[in-house]
Amino acid sequence: MSDLALSRRGVLKGASGLTVMMLAGGGLVACTPEQAETHLTTASPSAWLMIASDDTVTIMFGATEIGQGGMTALPLIVAEELDADWSKVKVEQVHSADPTFGNPIFGGDQSTVASLTVQGYFDTLRKAGALARRVLIYTAAAHWGVPPEEITTRSGQVLHPSTDRSLSFGDVITTGPLTTDVPDITDADLKAPEGFELIGTEITRLDSPDKSTGAAIYAIDIALPDMAYAAVLAPPVEGETPIQIGDTDARAVSGVVDVLTLPGGVAVIAEKYDIALRARDLLDVTWSETSPFRGADSQAEMAELTAACETTDTPGAVYAETGDAISTLTQADTIIAATYQTDYVYHAQIEPLAAVASVDADGQGAEFWLGTQSQSNAMRHASEALDLPSESIRPNVTYSGGGFGRRLHFERDILRDALLASKAIGRPVKLIWTREDDLRLGWFRPATAQHLRAALTPERKLAAWSHRLAASSILDFMDPARWNPEAPRDFLVMKNADGKAYPAETFRTEHIVTPRRARVTSWRGIGTGSNSFAVESFIDELAHASGEDPADFRLHLQSEDARATGLIRKVMEMSDYRTPRPEGRAIGLALAGYSSSLAAGVAEVSADEREEIKVHQVWTAIECGLAVHPDNVRAQIEGAIIMGLSAALKEQVVIQGGEVQNTNFHDYAILRANEAPEIEVYITPSTAPPTSVGELGLPMVAPAVANAVFNLTGKRLRHLPITPARLNAALRE
Amino acid sequence: MTRFKLNGQPVTVEADEDTQLLWVLRDHLGLTGTKYGCGAAQCGACTVHIDGIASYACITPLLAVEGTEVTTIEGLSETGDHPVQKAWVAEDVPQCGYCQSGQIMRAAALLAENPTPTREEISQTMRANLCRCGTYGRIVKAVERAANEGDQ
Repeated sequence: MSDLALSRRGVLKGASGLTVMMLAGGGLVACTPEQAETHLTTASPSAWLMIASDDTVTIMFGATEIGQGGMTALPLIVAEELDADWSKVKVEQVHSADPTFGNPIFGGDQSTVASLTVQGYFDTLRKAGALARRVLIYTAAAHWGVPPEEITTRSGQVLHPSTDRSLSFGDVITTGPLTTDVPDITDADLKAPEGFELIGTEITRLDSPDKSTGAAIYAIDIALPDMAYAAVLAPPVEGETPIQIGDTDARAVSGVVDVLTLPGGVAVIAEKYDIALRARDLLDVTWSETSPFRGADSQAEMAELTAACETTDTPGAVYAETGDAISTLTQADTIIAATYQTDYVYHAQIEPLAAVASVDADGQGAEFWLGTQSQSNAMRHASEALDLPSESIRPNVTYSGGGFGRRLHFERDILRDALLASKAIGRPVKLIWTREDDLRLGWFRPATAQHLRAALTPERKLAAWSHRLAASSILDFMDPARWNPEAPRDFLVMKNADGKAYPAETFRTEHIVTPRRARVTSWRGIGTGSNSFAVESFIDELAHASGEDPADFRLHLQSEDARATGLIRKVMEMSDYRTPRPEGRAIGLALAGYSSSLAAGVAEVSADEREEIKVHQVWTAIECGLAVHPDNVRAQIEGAIIMGLSAALKEQVVIQGGEVQNTNFHDYAILRANEAPEIEVYITPSTAPPTSVGELGLPMVAPAVANAVFNLTGKRLRHLPITPARLNAALRE
Repeated sequence: MTRFKLNGQPVTVEADEDTQLLWVLRDHLGLTGTKYGCGAAQCGACTVHIDGIASYACITPLLAVEGTEVTTIEGLSETGDHPVQKAWVAEDVPQCGYCQSGQIMRAAALLAENPTPTREEISQTMRANLCRCGTYGRIVKAVERAANEGDQ
């Protein structure tokens, strides 16, 4: 039996009672323990839900917990349809990569990305809960000799009201054989939203207690018997390799086990991490100097990007288009144009990347521990690193000390090196990147320059809209299998640069794909963080050019879209938009969404004597369909606003000679507690299926601040971050 | 050999005296609730109490804790019921949770010294601890809640 089947069996051992499984073909089945055994031998099912005779309901969590609260929201969805007693619900992490546990919206890929966990699992989890409930009802009906239609459920109990009888879920399981042959669950069998008793309530996150006592375990915390620690000295510039390694002094340090050359650099392996760090400082490595990345310079690159997007007679790859925007612009009496720039930003997740690996003595198998956003990618990269089939690899997923896009495909660096180090020394190895490593080896949100042009109709609607975005491709670096240079289409870069933010009679958006100068990847909000800054700043500029209030101008442009106008009006009301601010304060407004969700935001700012922008308050009105766990929705919006503000005001990766110049939090500052604004979040009530939340708070933040800065100073800051130096320069223009 | 009290119990550590307390706690003594975030007193994830004072374990050499009383998140309370921990759960502060041990230790030291801090005092003290998930607003609320419950 394969390890995967063994681990499935291991999971099922805990389930003496009722199990709901997902079969390889995609169907949910309810099983007795015997039926579960049979399925295991004939199909490749996963147990999604188990109910034991002690009333415990165990819900398997196929995504990963990176802080977004999915490990509470997904069980809540199951428990709702099951009518479970929430205090009896346990959640367990799924470690394996398994199509039957994958997010249905990704066709089985097991990745926690794109703010799609709740949205993607919602239907299937509801049906799993409803199916288990139906089996309990039919089993109790047989036991009591009554028709199932007379039976109801409530909070972990099966009830027969007319005879005043009841059994707990666990008691039903012990009454005798389970009636698993029940009618399939259809959409009509699911609860109407008005009947929800758990969804939409303010429950405590299941992981809050362990995360308040130090008990929560992250990859960096894993300790194994006989484990060694590794620190890797990486090349200063991507693509360089060691030519000469002087390791005599490092090897002489007491407690050093070995010095290895790994794909990621020169690794010191030691009995303790502090020893590895000390010895690493004693390495004397001569690196090659042939990498093309030696020429990378973030300031020079920004000039190139800017020239590329402004050279409008050189077309880029068309990303979205309707009508002939270019001719309309050419023929217009007046066009308005502006260029926006955004610098590289770094994830700065507080847990620096770490991986623990243990390769079997015979080299034919391995185990790893990782905080990851994708079991699927982790297994693939581990398998490639060791050239072993994925069936021989035993994954363990821990909590992640922040995700934000950083833990996606990162396995191909750090997990690979940890596995190879373990294989080389024949012991388990924990590899930790220091903060300095994590920054130097960071995969960043790419720098962009974006040239926007528009012409208005006599009715002040958009006659033409052109958006030319110059940036390297994320997909080309991060996930090249999904990138075709012949037909460039990089949604990670181009999200919210699709010409659809506001209705335009004609529009055209283009990606001018520039050479990659740094490692680039997804960063919370992906392209929206840069692109909605450009779009929403530009809309503000159009409003001012038309002599209209920016909120009124947006309401006018969105007059056909009740959701957009409703959110704008709501946030205007929340922020007393029409009330003048005191001297030295100003507000700005922006409207931007993420996938199917939408948010309007207002920021109130001032500038201190050093021209540092202070954001005092952010109000936001959002629409994200049904809020499964409203307090966590608020928490996610708050968090994304803070991260968006941090990037808008402070964050800037500087690259010179191919080397990242920032080293730690003193020269890559992120927002601190004393700089955080008050945040007020309004969630539009909705019974529509849930849509994206995790990144929704981010896109509107930077433009709301930039628009507020314009209202404060009369200067349009078109380059993120809006640092004191940039504001100062603008004020002295 | 270095001797100090850790979470109320005497301990003896055999490690270089210049080893940072952070790695002594995590790798030598197996207490992983204290986190590594920067190694440079910039992020506060490693915050512990040394003789009651909130301190950065990542820049405190072992030598410096000889004869002191060190408290980590594991020793703040027996069952996670310190008023600050209870307030953290009540406000659902943690998201990824990684920085929260340090946040809680910083907040507990603040309240021990100043049981009724103003909002401004809270945010000025808590500025020492970074949270990338952006839980700052809830941190302030939780400290206020713990302060209020401590009053009663």
